[in-house]
Amino acid sequence: MTVIDAQGLVKRYRTGGQTLYALAGIDFALEPGEFVSIMGPSGSGKTTLLNILGLLDTPTEGTVLLEGQDVTGLGDSKRTSLRKQTIGFVFQHFYLLPTLTAVENVEVPLLLDSDPGVTKRARTLLERLGLGERLDHKPDELSGGQKQRVAIARSLINSPKVVLADEPTGNLDSETGRQILDEFRRIADEDDVAIVAVTHDDLVNEYVDRTVHLVDGTIGRERKNGG
Amino acid sequence: MAGRFFPAALMARRNLTRTKMRSLLASLGIVIGVVAIASLGMFGVALQYSFTQNLGDVGNQLTVYPNSGENVTELTERDIRAIRREASATATVSPVMTRVEPVSYNRGDPVRETIYGVENPAELYEAQEGRVSPFRTGALVGSSVADEHDLHPGSQITVNGTNVRVQAVLEEGEPFSSTNPDNRVIMSTNSFSQRGYSEVYVIESTGTAANETAMGIRESLNEREERVFVQELGSIVDTIEQQFQIINTVLAGIASISLLVAGISILNVMLMSTVERREEIGVLRAVGYQKRDVLKVMLMEATLLGVLGGIAGVVLSIGAGLAINHYAVGDAMAVFRLPNAWYVGAAFTFGVLTSIVSGLYPAWKAASEEPVDALRG
Ligand SMILES: Nc1ncnc2c1ncn2[C@@H]1O[C@H](COP(=O)(O)OP(=O)(O)OP(=O)(O)O)[C@@H](O)[C@H]1O
Ligand SMILES: [Mg+2]
Repeated sequence: MTVIDAQGLVKRYRTGGQTLYALAGIDFALEPGEFVSIMGPSGSGKTTLLNILGLLDTPTEGTVLLEGQDVTGLGDSKRTSLRKQTIGFVFQHFYLLPTLTAVENVEVPLLLDSDPGVTKRARTLLERLGLGERLDHKPDELSGGQKQRVAIARSLINSPKVVLADEPTGNLDSETGRQILDEFRRIADEDDVAIVAVTHDDLVNEYVDRTVHLVDGTIGRERKNGG
Repeated sequence: MAGRFFPAALMARRNLTRTKMRSLLASLGIVIGVVAIASLGMFGVALQYSFTQNLGDVGNQLTVYPNSGENVTELTERDIRAIRREASATATVSPVMTRVEPVSYNRGDPVRETIYGVENPAELYEAQEGRVSPFRTGALVGSSVADEHDLHPGSQITVNGTNVRVQAVLEEGEPFSSTNPDNRVIMSTNSFSQRGYSEVYVIESTGTAANETAMGIRESLNEREERVFVQELGSIVDTIEQQFQIINTVLAGIASISLLVAGISILNVMLMSTVERREEIGVLRAVGYQKRDVLKVMLMEATLLGVLGGIAGVVLSIGAGLAINHYAVGDAMAVFRLPNAWYVGAAFTFGVLTSIVSGLYPAWKAASEEPVDALRG
């Protein structure tokens, strides 16, 4: 079943008498296990789209179906619970909590549930991402690539249906970037997780199923890989 | 619930240790506030305690006087019977006569002194030297009189030209009690020619009983005219204790101003912290923390600051209390009395509450920020 089905998304901002269309009518659907990249110039609406797909933001017009359920008009509390259950975020600037160790950072989304199995799962995830040696290090003792991998592990701790990543390889050298993209590919193939990655990096397109180009809030040409 | 709070406490604790100096300074305010409230409270308690220690156990005593304003100069046997009726069965009712006579000690010049006539002094007094009963012909002297004139059992004093043998020197009485014998010379009522009494002591077993008896006496004897005047030491003590209560409350109120200042500094620290951690909080909201979860984490920080400051404050307050009680009451251990525990407990509670209340606004601000706005960078 389609994980996310967004129809006619419009996001309008009104600033100082001017109306700005961050998104100007976008249809976007995502199947399980699909790895999609979104490309486009700065200000084209990539982050806005990602936020709406991730239930962080609401569209001015249009509908979003999450696993067939209409989530467009849901209130903050319901959207928050749905984010927790089905969505994993990887932020552009990692946004790890500097006071917590790698393992604790991975546990954060489920920390308040006092589920005793979470720590073990967090360790397993970090080990799978090659951070077995760095489990109890604080973020300021980790390299950029290591931090990014902690952020990815955090996005996976709640076994999400969708992972949304904003510039996941943005600050990484191509070697580390490949490691992370390999990991995304594996998650998509093995765990059937749908992945959307916003990127400027052509390297990403070697790994994805298709690429969506955004221009001024509308979808431009779409390219399918190997399909 | 406690289990659900624990992870929030972990995050809160880590956040506080991130800016150790700032957290320390913020809770220092709470420490000072708690110490101020607790030690001023304990100071008041110590004052009150040393006062009641001096006052002694007089709350259960009454003295009935004839009301000279209504031309009643003495109490009659009928009055005494009425008083006995009003007093409870276990009460001591002791009528006293007085007369003024020239008295000379050790063959010196006679001075005019009040002689007290008490029928059965054994029910009021105990002897320091000699024996109080049987009591028929001799005299009992108070300890101050005995000291001044070097009197002992067997010494002779002269009352209106007649030699009288001192039978006993009495134990010191309570300083504020109207039965206090220290400056008195007491003789048997047999030596008095008059029949009326000038005062009656009633000693009940409790202050409440004394109060009821006083009301009963006023009702039965003052029905037609204000025949008697009943003095209740207990009610005086009550009034004075009420005054102390007011003083204590005012002191504690002044001290709580320092807590207000502490609250403002915590508010400031928490506000700075929410501004600095705007993005982190946005991440928490994005990964599924409800507004109330963020509220919980932030309030946990405020609570920790308050509890830390409160505990340090309580420890320091007990130290201060030991010193206060050592100097004011002469017994440092008096700090472990119930009213002190009350003040220390209240100070701690107020400290923690101040901290939590100060954390409310910053926590609410952090929780109600839209995660999209916080994360736009
Ligand atoms: N809260 C807001 N108020 C006003 N305008 C906004 C707001 N949020 C986004 N915009 C505007 O919407 C447009 C799309 O923004 P968005 O962040 O989606 O761009 P982007 O494609 O992610 O760009 P970049 O590659 O630089 O991250 C931009 O022109 C931006 O200025
Ligand atoms: Mg962006």
